[in-house]
Amino acid sequence: MSVIAQAAAPRRLARSRFTFDRLEVLGPLFIMPAILYVIVLVGLPFLLALYYSVSAYSIFNPSYTFVGLKNFREVIDSEIFRRTLANTLIFTISAQIIGLLLGKIGAMLLMQEFPGRRLARALIVLPWAVPVSLATLAWVWMFDSLYSVINWTLVAAGLIDAAHRPQWLGQEDLAMIAVAVVHAWRLFPFGVVIFLAGFTSVPQDVLDAATIDGAGFWRRNYQIILPIIAPIIMIAVIFGTVFTFTDLSVVYLLTKGGPINSTQVLGSLAFQVGILSGDVAHGAAICLFLFPFLLVAVILLLRSLRRREI
Amino acid sequence: MRSGRKLSTSAVTRRGFFKQVGAAAAAAGLAPAVSSPFVSTALAQAKTLKILQWSHFVPQYDKWFDGFATEWGKKNGVTVTVDHIPHLELPARAAAEVSAGAGHDIFAYGGSGGPHLYEKHAVDLSSLVGEVEKKHGKVHQIGRQIAYNEGTKVWSALPAYYIRFPGLYRKDLWDEIGMKPDTWEDIRVGGAKLKAKGTPIGIGLGHSVDPNLSYRSMLWSYGASECDDTGKRVTLNSKETLEVVKLVRALYKDAMEPEVLSWDDASNNRYLASGRGSWIHNPISAYRSIQKSNPELADKIYIWKTPAGPVRRLAAGAPNSYAVWRFARNKDAAIEFLRYWTDNYLAAFEASTGYNHPLFEDMVPKPMPILSNDPTSHPADKLQVLETANEWHATYGYPGPAGPASDEVAESFVIVDMMAKAATDKATPEEAVAWAQKEIELIYRKWSAA
Repeated sequence: MSVIAQAAAPRRLARSRFTFDRLEVLGPLFIMPAILYVIVLVGLPFLLALYYSVSAYSIFNPSYTFVGLKNFREVIDSEIFRRTLANTLIFTISAQIIGLLLGKIGAMLLMQEFPGRRLARALIVLPWAVPVSLATLAWVWMFDSLYSVINWTLVAAGLIDAAHRPQWLGQEDLAMIAVAVVHAWRLFPFGVVIFLAGFTSVPQDVLDAATIDGAGFWRRNYQIILPIIAPIIMIAVIFGTVFTFTDLSVVYLLTKGGPINSTQVLGSLAFQVGILSGDVAHGAAICLFLFPFLLVAVILLLRSLRRREI
Repeated sequence: MRSGRKLSTSAVTRRGFFKQVGAAAAAAGLAPAVSSPFVSTALAQAKTLKILQWSHFVPQYDKWFDGFATEWGKKNGVTVTVDHIPHLELPARAAAEVSAGAGHDIFAYGGSGGPHLYEKHAVDLSSLVGEVEKKHGKVHQIGRQIAYNEGTKVWSALPAYYIRFPGLYRKDLWDEIGMKPDTWEDIRVGGAKLKAKGTPIGIGLGHSVDPNLSYRSMLWSYGASECDDTGKRVTLNSKETLEVVKLVRALYKDAMEPEVLSWDDASNNRYLASGRGSWIHNPISAYRSIQKSNPELADKIYIWKTPAGPVRRLAAGAPNSYAVWRFARNKDAAIEFLRYWTDNYLAAFEASTGYNHPLFEDMVPKPMPILSNDPTSHPADKLQVLETANEWHATYGYPGPAGPASDEVAESFVIVDMMAKAATDKATPEEAVAWAQKEIELIYRKWSAA
């Protein structure tokens, strides 16, 4: 009896093989939500933006009249837009550099043994975790024209004269530094985590061998550690670049693009034109200027990453 | 590989998981269909009215409004919900509600552009406005500018009220120099003297609403404007504008501090409250908040009309209006509520402590309560000059109507940046005016084609 039962079981299973037990069905099924997500929330809005950008669509007149590249020509014609484009590049590059530098320094410090290291590691992600509006409002107060704690400290330390205190959000160059620093502050916990992950992947024996061979701190850092963790840094740079290039929250909350559009970035200008002013077509055209820059940046970074992996 | 795999013997099998998830999803999917007849009946029975407006600078007005709306709802069997959001979020919220075709029934615009921009999405309130005009007198020109389309003859919103832009000054300090800030020239001359004494004047030069209004006031007072009375032809590049830009440059250098470049809408209030500021161009909210925080200082602060220029005395007021969306679920209740609100405007005015200036001539009889006799002010008639506000106020788009183009010019801060460029020597006054004319022309051209 038992022999018969054992022989019959696999046949029953084979007959009634459940569809979801087949990998060729289950694999696509599991990947489908991600693909749908990208299509619905990235692909379709992108196509819609393309469509709007060549139309005359506005909230005032929601018609899809085709206007060709007119919107792009008009956008480029504006000096405000040209300045915004330059600002966006400066903002992205400077925030990336500051964020990565801070991230690396933070990670190196957190690699050391010291009391409260776990707490410090937990606290360091706060800028990343705190809602941007809340964090930026704190910065607004720190940069306030009258009550800036930064200025108060500088005056108290005798480093500046109270009568000539810097206007962080009022002087064009300082305002750009301010928005870049605040954005870098938001980015740096991400940098810390990435660098920490990278550092732990560096084999200790390689470092020991280098030390025995006489490599000092800088040589170990730049000729051993950085080349090994470069692929991980590239990922951080790609994410950070996309995150910064498309951001408008810090600028909008701190300066609204002022003074004299010195901190206006593509995201905030597109929001101002497309949403606040209701000119969806020109807003979409401004937004699409993000695309070629991001595409080129991502391709270059991925190619560099692939070359390093090879 | 697959043939060698053993079936899981654990409690949760893949097959079981999918069966359970499928059953749960089916139940969730069917639930609305099964219950919909009951739900829709319940919804039909419960009438609702949803209102969205900004969080008022005078919090007690919001408190009054919420109670007023709830009371009206109780009397009329309508459940009223009033949501308040920061005024700067209103444009984005309007765009979101229109895109979704859902949201509130009544939408309170703060600013000029909304009613024109959203005309095709809002109920024509012409009959309500006509009715209110009959009952409460003629609508002020600001009301027409913001909500009436001369072309389509449509009132796309009910003009609600506007926020005045008078001058708030330290009488003790101005008395010391023997002057009163009555004209823009007084502001320049007196401001320079007061700056030398350590108490400068201040008008923001950053990207915020207040300077948008202040510099328009200045332009109009000198006979300049961004467009003509048709609202279509850009007229900024003129000798009058140039004169104003030169005046602002002089004000910045001689009468103000560089910090005005970074000011937001609350900065000038804080500046006056700090005791350093001797004059600001602002609604009375700054004075009201100082009354609470520093009554002694508040007694030294006086209110006077917006400064006059060589051509006229005219300030840009910040208008507010109520629209009823076409997709509103309860349009009749919305219109009925607005009618009731206008009939009770006097109470609304008092609740706002005299802040919301009426847009219909006889809505608040003169002498106006609070303004003519404010027990919290010393002297009690300190605010009385504001009763004449209708004589010296217009809004965006003047001398033409407000609209999407004038609104985008305001949202882009072109006028403020023109002043800032010249003030900080980033451009000569001539270059700054030419730059602004070009940017504004681009904006007007594209909207004229819309």
